[in-house]
Amino acid sequence: MYDYHSISLSSFEMLALNVLLLSLIMLALYKGESRLDSDSPWAMLSLLAVFGISSRILLDPLPNIQPVTMLVLVVGIYFGGWRAIALAGVIAWTSNAIALGHGPWTLFQALGWGAVGLLGASLSGFLREGDRLMVGRLAFVSAASAFLFDWTVSLSILLDASTSMIIPYLINGLAFDLYHAAGNVAFVAWMAAPLGDMILRHSEIPASEAVSEVAPN
Amino acid sequence: MSDNLKPGSLLLLFAVIILAPIIQDRLSEEAVKYVQDNASAHNGMPNEWDGKQVYCVLFPEYFSHSEYSSGVTMIGPSGSPLGVNDQYNGTGACVGGLVGFSSGMELMLNATEIAGGSLSVDYDVGEWGPYVHTIGGLNADNITGDFNWAWWSLEHNGAVSMVGIGDLVMSEGDVIIWRISTS
Repeated sequence: MYDYHSISLSSFEMLALNVLLLSLIMLALYKGESRLDSDSPWAMLSLLAVFGISSRILLDPLPNIQPVTMLVLVVGIYFGGWRAIALAGVIAWTSNAIALGHGPWTLFQALGWGAVGLLGASLSGFLREGDRLMVGRLAFVSAASAFLFDWTVSLSILLDASTSMIIPYLINGLAFDLYHAAGNVAFVAWMAAPLGDMILRHSEIPASEAVSEVAPN
Repeated sequence: MSDNLKPGSLLLLFAVIILAPIIQDRLSEEAVKYVQDNASAHNGMPNEWDGKQVYCVLFPEYFSHSEYSSGVTMIGPSGSPLGVNDQYNGTGACVGGLVGFSSGMELMLNATEIAGGSLSVDYDVGEWGPYVHTIGGLNADNITGDFNWAWWSLEHNGAVSMVGIGDLVMSEGDVIIWRISTS
């Protein structure tokens, strides 16, 4: 018998395979979303969680380049801070528990992405005009969000090191922050607008537009 | 905007991927230097001060402080002397085990208060900020010898500070030392 699973791939080939798999998952999720009833925010969030978890694991070979920060930012804009925090926690815990390693840092990752989601929610008026996402502004905020997330996660070293280590640790990680920021800008440029359109189809009616009383017959 | 952003974002990502390893090497060197400076600045001080802020005043050989004339007295954050290091290069006192000070001026004034007045500081505020001329009763202008000028020189983590005490930004674990320099 041949051992068909003994093929060894180079790191580049593995990355190419992972990108191909992620593209397949994205296509399947895109098709799946089109069959969802509109106004299904939790079903939509579930699909986004699957996308976030898959992308985080499959793009792990790339240094700090993955779309989760962009994802929670856009979810914060359309769905609000609390749902973005829920999504952040699910993605951080699940991807770490399945593949990347779970530990105290998971909490800091969830907090970091939760903070990014809250930022998106609080800047929603600035980052959206009506139904349209302001992609240029969002790119700028996503780059800043990379530093917000990375520096929040960096605080986890205080569990095991003195505060004097924070500055050298942050200095040492600045190149990885730049990878994250540049990656976020690219993900925003290519994915944020279609993602925003998909999410918008499942957003509930904003409270400001909802009627407070049922009209009598 | 978004039409330009797509190719622009790929160019940015490509540039970062190319340049980041070079940036990373430089940053790693800086981080290592920072840690080494910070750690070596604590040499000769109590171990419990590692990672905490320290303020020292070292007096010249012929103008030693009446209270700290032998070795360097280590004073804890409560003001209690922890001991004297006779091997330290100079005589004087250090107040250490401090945390949370973000400015050099703030650290100096608090450490001075902890030392109970024996390291009292007099300074003039000029165009360039506070200029310290007297510490522990020793006015640098009164120091005489085979030199033209003497002044209180500020060291930050083992190196001469590039800024005055009024502009010095402190991090956790930083050590500042005043000592007399001459020219």
